[in-house]
Amino acid sequence: MFGYVVQRLFVMIPTLLVISALVFIIINLPPGDFATAMLQELESQGGSGAQKATEIRALYGLDRPLIEQYFHWLGGMMVGDFGFSFEHEAPVTAVVGERMGLTLLINFISILFIYLVSFPIGVYSAVRQYSAGDYAFSFLGLVGYATPNFMLAIIMLYVLNEAFGISIGGLMDPAFRDQPMSWDKFVSIMQHSVVPVVVIGTAGTAAMIRRLRANLLDELHKQYVVTAKAKGLPPGRALRKYPLRMALNPFIADIGNLLPDVVSSSVIVSVVLGLETVGPTLLRALETQDTYLAGSFLMFLALLTVIGMLISDLALAALDPRIRLGGKAVK
Amino acid sequence: MIALRTVVAALALMAAALHTAQASDREAPMLAALVAEGKLPPVEERLPALPKLADFGPEQTLGDYGGTLTMLMARARDTRQMTVYSYARLVKYNRDLELVPDILERVEVLEGGREFVLHLRPGHRWSDGEPFTADDFRYWWEDVAQNRELSPAGVPTELLVDDALPEVLFPDPVTVIYRWQAPNPRFLPALAEATPLYIFMPGHYMHLFHARYTKPEELAARIKQTGSRNWAQMHNNMGRARDADNPDLPTLEPWMVTNRPPADRFVFERNPYFHRVDAQGRQLPYIDRVIFDITQSGLIAGKTAAGEVDLQGRYLRFDEVTLLKSSEKKHGYSTLLWRIAKGAHLALYPNLTVDDPVWRTLLRDVRFRRALSLAVNRYELNRVIYFGLAIEGQNTMLPGSPLYDLERRNRWSKFDLAEANRLLDEIGMTERDSRGFRLMADGRPLEIIVETAGGTEEADVLSLISDSWAQAGVKLFIKPLSLDVLRNRIFGGRTVMSIGSGLENGLATPDFVPSEIAPVDQNQYQWAKWGQFYQTKGASGEAPDTPEGMLLMDLYDAWFASGDRQERTDVWQAMLDLHADQVFSIGLVAGVYQPIAVRDGLANIPQDGIWNWSPGAHFGLYGMDRFYFTDPVRRGLAVRPGNGG
Amino acid sequence: MAGPLKPLVTGRTLPPAKPLEHWADDAVFDPKAATRLTPKQERYYLASQWQLMWWKLKRHRLAVISLFFLLAAYASILIAEMIAPYALDARNTDYLYAPPQSVHLMHEGRFLGPFVYPYKVSLDLTQLKWVYEGDLTRPQPIRFFCAPDDYNGARYRFWGGPELGFHFICPPKDGTLFLMGTDRLGRDVFSRIAYGARISLTVGLVGIILSFALGIVIGGIAGYYGGFIDNAVQRVIEIIRSFPTLPLLMALSAALPVTWSPILVFLGVTMILALLDWPGLARAVRSKFLSLREEDFVQAAQLMGARPSRIIARHLLPSFASHLIASASLSIPAMILGETALSFLGLGLRPPITSWGVLLNEAQNFSAVALYPWIMFPMLPVFLVVLAFQFLGDGLRDAADPYK
Repeated sequence: MFGYVVQRLFVMIPTLLVISALVFIIINLPPGDFATAMLQELESQGGSGAQKATEIRALYGLDRPLIEQYFHWLGGMMVGDFGFSFEHEAPVTAVVGERMGLTLLINFISILFIYLVSFPIGVYSAVRQYSAGDYAFSFLGLVGYATPNFMLAIIMLYVLNEAFGISIGGLMDPAFRDQPMSWDKFVSIMQHSVVPVVVIGTAGTAAMIRRLRANLLDELHKQYVVTAKAKGLPPGRALRKYPLRMALNPFIADIGNLLPDVVSSSVIVSVVLGLETVGPTLLRALETQDTYLAGSFLMFLALLTVIGMLISDLALAALDPRIRLGGKAVK
Repeated sequence: MIALRTVVAALALMAAALHTAQASDREAPMLAALVAEGKLPPVEERLPALPKLADFGPEQTLGDYGGTLTMLMARARDTRQMTVYSYARLVKYNRDLELVPDILERVEVLEGGREFVLHLRPGHRWSDGEPFTADDFRYWWEDVAQNRELSPAGVPTELLVDDALPEVLFPDPVTVIYRWQAPNPRFLPALAEATPLYIFMPGHYMHLFHARYTKPEELAARIKQTGSRNWAQMHNNMGRARDADNPDLPTLEPWMVTNRPPADRFVFERNPYFHRVDAQGRQLPYIDRVIFDITQSGLIAGKTAAGEVDLQGRYLRFDEVTLLKSSEKKHGYSTLLWRIAKGAHLALYPNLTVDDPVWRTLLRDVRFRRALSLAVNRYELNRVIYFGLAIEGQNTMLPGSPLYDLERRNRWSKFDLAEANRLLDEIGMTERDSRGFRLMADGRPLEIIVETAGGTEEADVLSLISDSWAQAGVKLFIKPLSLDVLRNRIFGGRTVMSIGSGLENGLATPDFVPSEIAPVDQNQYQWAKWGQFYQTKGASGEAPDTPEGMLLMDLYDAWFASGDRQERTDVWQAMLDLHADQVFSIGLVAGVYQPIAVRDGLANIPQDGIWNWSPGAHFGLYGMDRFYFTDPVRRGLAVRPGNGG
Repeated sequence: MAGPLKPLVTGRTLPPAKPLEHWADDAVFDPKAATRLTPKQERYYLASQWQLMWWKLKRHRLAVISLFFLLAAYASILIAEMIAPYALDARNTDYLYAPPQSVHLMHEGRFLGPFVYPYKVSLDLTQLKWVYEGDLTRPQPIRFFCAPDDYNGARYRFWGGPELGFHFICPPKDGTLFLMGTDRLGRDVFSRIAYGARISLTVGLVGIILSFALGIVIGGIAGYYGGFIDNAVQRVIEIIRSFPTLPLLMALSAALPVTWSPILVFLGVTMILALLDWPGLARAVRSKFLSLREEDFVQAAQLMGARPSRIIARHLLPSFASHLIASASLSIPAMILGETALSFLGLGLRPPITSWGVLLNEAQNFSAVALYPWIMFPMLPVFLVVLAFQFLGDGLRDAADPYK
């Protein structure tokens, strides 16, 4: 087990390195750089734009070759210096603030929501296959998937505001922003989390329901289950003791499939809803090619995904001894 | 005698009591506690000896202290809007758009505009209590503007006349003199802009960041602490009064920021040393606090409609007005409509300095521009997009400007397809292709690609125009781009035509510099290369090479040389006439309304106003320091419940 | 000694033996009878893989309905001009943000056939909105199967060829037929949805082709060769999957050259979506190949000297094809949703191109939700198409294992 963990951790590092290189390339792919994106901005500060642009470039090292900029950034990250944000004119760590924490919170709650909703529905659908309930629940799950989530977001915002007076957008009432955490602030965050979590979650629920249903059905049709029932094991135990546990393996392991989708759709949803998470700042940083800020946020999101996948692999290894002992994962 | 002594004592006591009563009336409750504790001097000592009597408009009344005003903004950089809205300037525009002294007590313009004597108010203090004197002007002029490291681009161009620096004198602590060899009509307007030219800086604070006044070790420590690259960057960052992003920077505005970016919420608190008073001698502003909440720009209309703001203008668009109006009663606000005072809300800009030779010839043919203008159905545009409430016509002065002329507005802008077709035939483009579009001289179909950096409004306008142009045989393609790409293409001569906003100042008087109607700025989309030529003094771009272009430059120079108002009026009229005749830009509609959401009970905001950046500074023209809450409950709540502080 | 045989036992004689009752089939004996198949069974065993899949699929009602729905939807692309009552960019400046007109059958107790009530429009300048009421006194019958004359002679070019003027359904004479209302420029929402299907539905198809090509080639190679190549490919897949998609989409969209025509932008967008989709397929292909590799028929082919490409293409793929199809039917809705998301963010297609995503972008504001909800109708076709693909995919996946 330990060897497995070490091996997985070891493999994670080159993955992250490659991702960081890709991230850097992607950010610098559109033509121009921060100076050109902010040209009008710079001109309003007086002086000709082109001149200001050259100054900015020299100041921030944007006129160095890309490779050099990349290694500068990478080296900085190793020692905890995530670079400087041109737009905010402050170190990246200052800009981040509460955002990363709130991003983690939202993603975590969304995944929890997905599991909590899809688990009972998936089990029910498998056990009562082809029943009315099966069709009804599958349909509901698919509804969430098939509706474009940004439309769902804005509709829910409006409805919740009309019905409950929850302020539009944001993850908390504006009065609590930048304030230290308090009970009232926490309550406000929970209230405002309803819309993002439901919107992000409904898309993932459909897939999870289907996976759990398919896996559980596979198990339920196996010989040992038939034997158990024939031998008189009560149906509840016959379900819970063996097939469910087997079906759980891929269910939990599928965080690996789920996490990238949740993370990226949470970014889009947070932009629509104006949440105080990483999303809106990231979007703005990408538009203005604020290299270090965008790069740091992207690495954070990638890290979130990679670690999530690592956790799911570890969880799977813990649940399935075959993997621990070196066999191939059953997918 | 005892009785007399008692009476005198009683009278004295009464007088003292009256005096203190009056004094405490004049103290804002928010500051009263601090004054009582002795942490703040009483208001008589905080105001300058000759405070500025704020010019209350005809509909504005005296107000009461207290309250917190909330506004929404979309980016942290928008803290600079506070400086715009507060509009405390050395000289500023009053309601009649005349220049009047504000921070300055008075200004003397001598020697035909060559010399300006600026008189400060004695006893005027910065927001931290330090005196505001001519020394702050000296600091800026000698240690900032002429310091090579702090100002690599040199002294601001508004202070240069024939490339010569002014002579700047500081005869006494309350007087500053600027003197040039020739008149400088740009000086005072530059000081009154929404984003003004600052010719002063709080020297006692900025010293800390200046290499000349601070020991190198302290400087290095501060550089490290602020995360700057070098002292020049640090100095400039810390001293940008316009941006209102440094809580420690002393200011003369009515409110000062109390927290730094990056943040999602900026709180501005009253400046105890603000120099304006109302007719009863009470120090302004009335409102204690202003809060900027930063959120996504797409949500601002929705949040306004849900009643989450007290005052909002920025980021509200006309196409959201129905939504705003529909929720007024329910959420307790009202939607005012102020006219945007641009010469044209949107105008098409044929690029006279385009590279392609065929297009260049065609666009420079005035008949072509006139035909395109005649082929636009402005009535339909107005009705479909603006409920018929806008003013159709050319990109020129609006009613309300002394230079307004109805005939000039309507020239070449009445919808007339027959005439448009006739003009295009006259040019020689009589052949058409299979789709019915005319062919140009080299056989290419007449397809104009209009590039836009705007959003749905521009796209809608263009799709309406494309329909009517199709009836004249002209095909219109829309090309959406980002702003920097668009500008680069225009500057480089690759764009054939673009769409943008019209003249920024549609209410100009002859005393304004006619820089928008002469080719002097490369940001003028119709002749970017001519503007570039002027700005870079011939280093890049092209010299104006059409008779009309050269005439405009001559008139521009003539304005500077003109001696009196009549001459300036003549120059303006000539330039405006030339524009109307030559259709350098195809104006579409003007006077579009800007929705302004105002909380019920927020007073002193005029029902009908203009929403203009320059001049006007949006809310600045109407004196945000004079806004107040009529509801005592709103005033009493200096701190919102749930607000941590 | 001749003579009747004397029974050995004296005394009694046995009666002459009667034959036992028995039945015998007089038909000719057919030794193969046991192994012969009935026609039904024969059809079953001789049926090709595809036929088996189809039979199994037919039993899944929902999948069949979805299949026909999708075929109809794709067919509608061809005849969008005929289905839409109005042309794509037809504007009606008298009816801005008009609510949908409902179709009635009975007017004042009489049956009139399908008709609509015209609008009475007025401008409320205090609320700054257009106010619409139905004029209940003048029913206007809807016309069907119209000719150009009904449209004042307006014609359209049918796929760049003949000029036709035929429409299935058109507005009443001098009237309007806005089944789903109009938008801010007075354009019929229903017609725009019909035209928008062209782009939205084909995005998925074009993207699938590219995604498949990449996924099969890369996954196949990884699965077939195994070892180092497999590891490398797995790492690449993992990297792409961990990469946050939004910024990738943004940056790639921003990198599309400015001078490209709308068609090229469209292709660019589909390529970008495909680039993000192939890892899923590659993984499935890879794992399938890894297990199939050990099968006898593959070994036989190898021994007979077949090249790897031939083995993959000719032998491995077909056994996997059913799964591929099921996968495709689940990837296409992802692409459609991806296109709507991109257009919503302003990154993909923009006006004047019309797709459902572009239409939803215009609906993405509070004015639409609060005041003009019919602008959000394009959600419906997206929803139905995605749902249909899901059901079809489920059915295909169930059917892909016919021997279960």
